[in-house]
Amino acid sequence: MKKINILLAIVLLFLFAGSNPASAQRKPLEIIILHTNDMHAKIDNMGKLAYLADSLRKSHEYVFLVAAGDNFTGNPVVDMVEDKGYPMIDLMNRCGFNVSAMGNHEFDLGQEKLNARMGQATFPFISCNIDASGATVKQPKPYMVLEAGKIRIPVLSVIQLGQNGLPDSHPSKLEGIKFTDGMLKVKEYTWLKDKYGVLIGLTHLGVEQDEPLAREMPQFDLIIGGHSHTTMSEPMMVNNVMIVQTGSGLKNVGKIILHIKHGKVIDTKYELIPMASIKNSDPVVQALINKYNDNQELNKVIAVAEADITGESELGSMMTDAITHRLKADFSFQNTGGIRVPAIPAGNISLKDVYRLDPFGNLVVLFKLNASEIKSLIRNSYNRSKQIDLEVSGMTYEIVLDQAGSCKDVIMLDLSGLSLDPAKEYTVGVNSYISASYTFDHRDPGNTTYTTCAQALIDYLGEVKKVNYKGVVRAKTGTSR
Amino acid sequence: MAMKVYINTKEIVIFDGARIQDAILAYSTVEWKKVINGEISIVDRFGNQTDPDGPIRDGQQFTLKNNTEL
Repeated sequence: MKKINILLAIVLLFLFAGSNPASAQRKPLEIIILHTNDMHAKIDNMGKLAYLADSLRKSHEYVFLVAAGDNFTGNPVVDMVEDKGYPMIDLMNRCGFNVSAMGNHEFDLGQEKLNARMGQATFPFISCNIDASGATVKQPKPYMVLEAGKIRIPVLSVIQLGQNGLPDSHPSKLEGIKFTDGMLKVKEYTWLKDKYGVLIGLTHLGVEQDEPLAREMPQFDLIIGGHSHTTMSEPMMVNNVMIVQTGSGLKNVGKIILHIKHGKVIDTKYELIPMASIKNSDPVVQALINKYNDNQELNKVIAVAEADITGESELGSMMTDAITHRLKADFSFQNTGGIRVPAIPAGNISLKDVYRLDPFGNLVVLFKLNASEIKSLIRNSYNRSKQIDLEVSGMTYEIVLDQAGSCKDVIMLDLSGLSLDPAKEYTVGVNSYISASYTFDHRDPGNTTYTTCAQALIDYLGEVKKVNYKGVVRAKTGTSR
Repeated sequence: MAMKVYINTKEIVIFDGARIQDAILAYSTVEWKKVINGEISIVDRFGNQTDPDGPIRDGQQFTLKNNTEL
């Protein structure tokens, strides 16, 4: 009999190992989850976040801090340092993050640098639909388990895929990685709910996919989302699953209070806290932020201007050469309104100079256009303001005016001085502002390169080292004909 | 590949990988300036506010609303 009892005890112990000890619990366990998403390297509010998290930790036993991905990309003081992305990891460590979803912009770092950053993080990056077995980047775990005393809370993550089956990052950053449909993959983890009684999604899908995910996976108690930069002042309730998201750029932080009893979530409260409402900042973290913001690396010299680069024609020629060179386009165009300094003086060109020249974060978009379509772009751009509006690389052009001063034709010559081939399809790079707001004929809808124009210019200048655009004029207005 | 999105019910065909701001620019530069100036906000089909730098998916719908309406 004694042997049977021991055997029974072992069996029971085995059965309940890892699961939450439901029966022993009398009053609900309170768990606080602070969450962010799509911080995009915006570090200025990290001191406030650290202060809030520490304040709650002093008064509550179980406080967790989670990020729903896209911690990087969007701030030169984080993106342009030698240890690209490190300031963000350092600050997230100091804030005490417990886990982050893998977002598409994590890959912007490049796989080797991402490995380094993941190695420095005191928290894991997770995602269930990434197979990195053939890649440089380390394999993320699909989920992690938060521990609140004897209660265990699994957090499962999943990353978005675009129409091309890849996360929204430059494909060259994703080499060797296999991605599977996240909506299908998460269903392989319903056992987490069976085992632990609780299941949290930390997704980087966007609200448009979190909503069907909640419909199809009622096993989730909560979906902490990211990717779509959605600010939810109230949670969305779908199929009894709470969905939350905090916008982007660490302008807000979400606070969720879970009450768990008998191994189940019995009550959930949500509050969106604007960072502007938090008046205190952790002094240690704030000092680090100040240090990172005073980033001397932005003064780093990347090239030398042999002569002043003055005016829209010279500056625009340099900017478009960068796109043509970096993205292997035949021609590139830059709108004059996007050229934000009057000149870059002769001498050293720093990273700061580039960001002053092009502060918008516009992405390079590539189109396949024939000569007629290119002509329509130039003609329509001229007629917007009756003046040269597009600077160009890879070709020159002359506007032919009608009697009213409108563009009636465009003479376009390639670098050899020959007219463009009307039968040929050219690769044309423009910034996302032009691609979205300019009217021109194009059968190709275009494709983003996920490369900013500023980054293209930094890469270009870093490669050529010396530039001289003195007197360069590639676009001009001819006489009326 | 192109995406179709809807701004105030108007169909906008735009490049794959575009952000919401790109779609709004394609919709109206005047409305885009109002977004920048903080006069109007972007609201998704669920009624949530969305930041202009957010990515978009094929078929998404957004409405531009005066901030006084929110």
